Amino acid sequence: MVQQEIQRSPWRSALNIGLIGAVALVLLSLIGMVEVFNKRDIVYKILSMGQILLLGTTVFIAYLAAKRGGEDMPAKTIGLAVIAGLTAAAGLALLVAVGKLVNLRDVLINASPVLFMILTFHQGPALGIPLLLLTGMLCGLAAALIYLAPKVISRSLVGALVTVAAAGVLQDTLRPVIGLWGPVSKINRLLFAANGLKVSGAVVLFVLMVVILALWNSKADAVKTRFDSLPAGRQRGLRLGGWLLLAFILLILPHLLGLFLSEVLTIVGLYILLGLGLNIVIGFAGLLDLGYVAFFAVGSYVVAILTSPELGFFNLGFWSALPIVVVAGVLAGLILGVPVLKMRGDYLAIATLGFGEIIRIVVLSDWLRPWIGGAQGIQEIPNITLAGYTFSTPQEIYYFILAGCLLVGFISWRLRDSRLGRAWMAVREDEDVAQAMGINLVATKLMAFATGAGFSALSGAIFATKIGSVYPHSFNIIVSINIVCLIIVGGMGSIPGVIVGSFALVGLPELLREFAEYRMLVYGAALVAMMLLKPEGLWPDVKRRRELHIEENDETDEPAAEPAAAGS
Amino acid sequence: MPLLKTIRLTKQFGGLVAIDDLDMEVKESSIHSVIGPNGAGKTTLFNCITGFYKPEMGEIDLMGHSLVGLLPDQIVRLGVARTYQNIRLFPALTALENILVGYHTHLKSRFLGIVLGTPHTRREEKEAEEEGLKLLRFVNLAGSGDQLAKNLPYGAQRRLEIARAMATKPKVLLLDEPAAGMNPKESQEMIDFIRHLRDELGITIILIEHQMKVVMGISETVTVLDYGRKIAEGTPSEIQNNPKVIEAYLGSGSAAEAGVTAAG
Repeated sequence: MVQQEIQRSPWRSALNIGLIGAVALVLLSLIGMVEVFNKRDIVYKILSMGQILLLGTTVFIAYLAAKRGGEDMPAKTIGLAVIAGLTAAAGLALLVAVGKLVNLRDVLINASPVLFMILTFHQGPALGIPLLLLTGMLCGLAAALIYLAPKVISRSLVGALVTVAAAGVLQDTLRPVIGLWGPVSKINRLLFAANGLKVSGAVVLFVLMVVILALWNSKADAVKTRFDSLPAGRQRGLRLGGWLLLAFILLILPHLLGLFLSEVLTIVGLYILLGLGLNIVIGFAGLLDLGYVAFFAVGSYVVAILTSPELGFFNLGFWSALPIVVVAGVLAGLILGVPVLKMRGDYLAIATLGFGEIIRIVVLSDWLRPWIGGAQGIQEIPNITLAGYTFSTPQEIYYFILAGCLLVGFISWRLRDSRLGRAWMAVREDEDVAQAMGINLVATKLMAFATGAGFSALSGAIFATKIGSVYPHSFNIIVSINIVCLIIVGGMGSIPGVIVGSFALVGLPELLREFAEYRMLVYGAALVAMMLLKPEGLWPDVKRRRELHIEENDETDEPAAEPAAAGS
Repeated sequence: MPLLKTIRLTKQFGGLVAIDDLDMEVKESSIHSVIGPNGAGKTTLFNCITGFYKPEMGEIDLMGHSLVGLLPDQIVRLGVARTYQNIRLFPALTALENILVGYHTHLKSRFLGIVLGTPHTRREEKEAEEEGLKLLRFVNLAGSGDQLAKNLPYGAQRRLEIARAMATKPKVLLLDEPAAGMNPKESQEMIDFIRHLRDELGITIILIEHQMKVVMGISETVTVLDYGRKIAEGTPSEIQNNPKVIEAYLGSGSAAEAGVTAAG
């Protein structure tokens, strides 16, 4: 009896997974997501985004079931996956059948005729339900084959499919961007139809991606081995070349991407700045600060007060205001830090949450209205100028934000591998023991709060000049939560993780604005999935290899390494 | 002259007297064991010496400095380092990073120097890393420096914790059951290692240990605590034959017989 409970049969769990899938599919249909997504074709008149949503979910569910089978038993694996796929599809079939008999629309407004048309492939229930079940089984088969195929093949195929789907989903973004590229813009005509990809375009893109990814997946290790076997000088040369290429791409990026995407980039950039700052507080020092937006507000308001001619207090230029802004941010960080020094974990989170709200309510208050404008905020914040050149369009401000990100990223990176960074991480890992190692907790924690707050204030200052005005409602608690989420999704304490997290959680939703209705739902689902499947984040922090690194230095090019390192 | 002494030290938790009027003197460069049944107040004594607990009464004196009322980070700067009964490494840091945290008080870099990467900072980091590697070799962990502390095997974690304490360059090292959970062979290695520490580096060692073989094998002085009181103190052979000690460990009544066995 006991044993039976522990060793649940894989067929039972496949059925259970399938049932979960069925619930997910029915839910996706009934909240209207399928219908809304269906308006956009991925492949013109053949495959819509709504269908992709359903198919993708089913394949994923079936894949989870296939994993129970094990690679050495292909028949069993296929069986499990097909059962899960069939069960999931049966959920939808049931919905269709019930929808045919009862008018669900009285209660569930999204159970519309259009939805049932989509679910039955425009064939009506009699033919549609068998078709639906067949599709579920095919999804299961596909999932099993993906699981059973050699990794190189399955990864390439899945990667290519995802690329095609992404090209279709992001068509409205891609089309104008490719249109900017002169002769290359012909791709548009090859690739896209009026709504979605052309069949030929999709096939070409798919084949191309399969080839590229297969090459990458099979040859990456070989390339790496060859790179490692090169002499140190050549390696350094190639690395430098890589960095130069990256720098070049970063420099011309806004001209490649056009106005809209550059605007998105600037928003992502501001979140990267904020994320890098909060990463020091949460990722390095482990202090869960939920009121981080407060420092962003401080930065924005201080720059507004100092520069806006509308108020006319100081009329400073951006550059003379900037040091004051950063100092104000650091001071705000210290002011928050002192009272919460003794708090840990959830208590700290709640206290900082309160601090964030206090700042927002203070700037909103009538009491300070004569100075900072209350709910009307402050307008007419001048653009940043540098050597007679004004940064006003997103494409220009991009450079400014890029410079800020590079600076802050560099500082974070230097701090991480230093005495201070180690002290922060020691406090994060075990506060008491850190103290017993001689770390002054007060100084170390305050340093983390102050540094993070300084970065946040810098970000706020750029934000204010970019928008040209500040309002209290920009500094909502949601901003803090967003930044915490992007750090978690990217990978706690990881600098590249912050960048990846910002693109995923800030950039992507900006590109998919028309589906903004479902933003929070997808966001929540993504976070839960992330915590279950990849809790260490998309790009986790990689520990520096010191031991090897030092021995290498001792043996080989000690004198040569010194000037090169000093130059960096 | 003793390196460390406690004078009439008393620590209470509510009504419970964990340490009761304890006088203890630890000679320089000695290995001094503190033993006693469970709940005798051994770890509490360590927590008082290292500043985790503030004693209600009495004095702790390190070469003329009073340690009472100082914070743990101030005490470690004066030269008192410790390990923990249940290993407390920084699990997500590498072995070498754990040791480098131990060097914290001996490094001088500040925020600006770190960000600018001044020659001083670079030199200091490089020296610390080299010393850290030396310490890793010293505790037989050469080659494990880049592994995360949590991935090291149990014995290696024990030794790494000692290495981290050593990195603070202590005068006194407090080891809380360093041989706990070890088999006889590992225990013997630990005994050799502790003796090696004292002989090579002249560090004074205060040891809490339950394995009598370890205690009797390496200690010069043994202090026995029971219910927070010192009931005996002396060389290992004196302690082994002390009827009070036998009573505390085995309960009254068995004292006479046990004394005979211990003597024989």
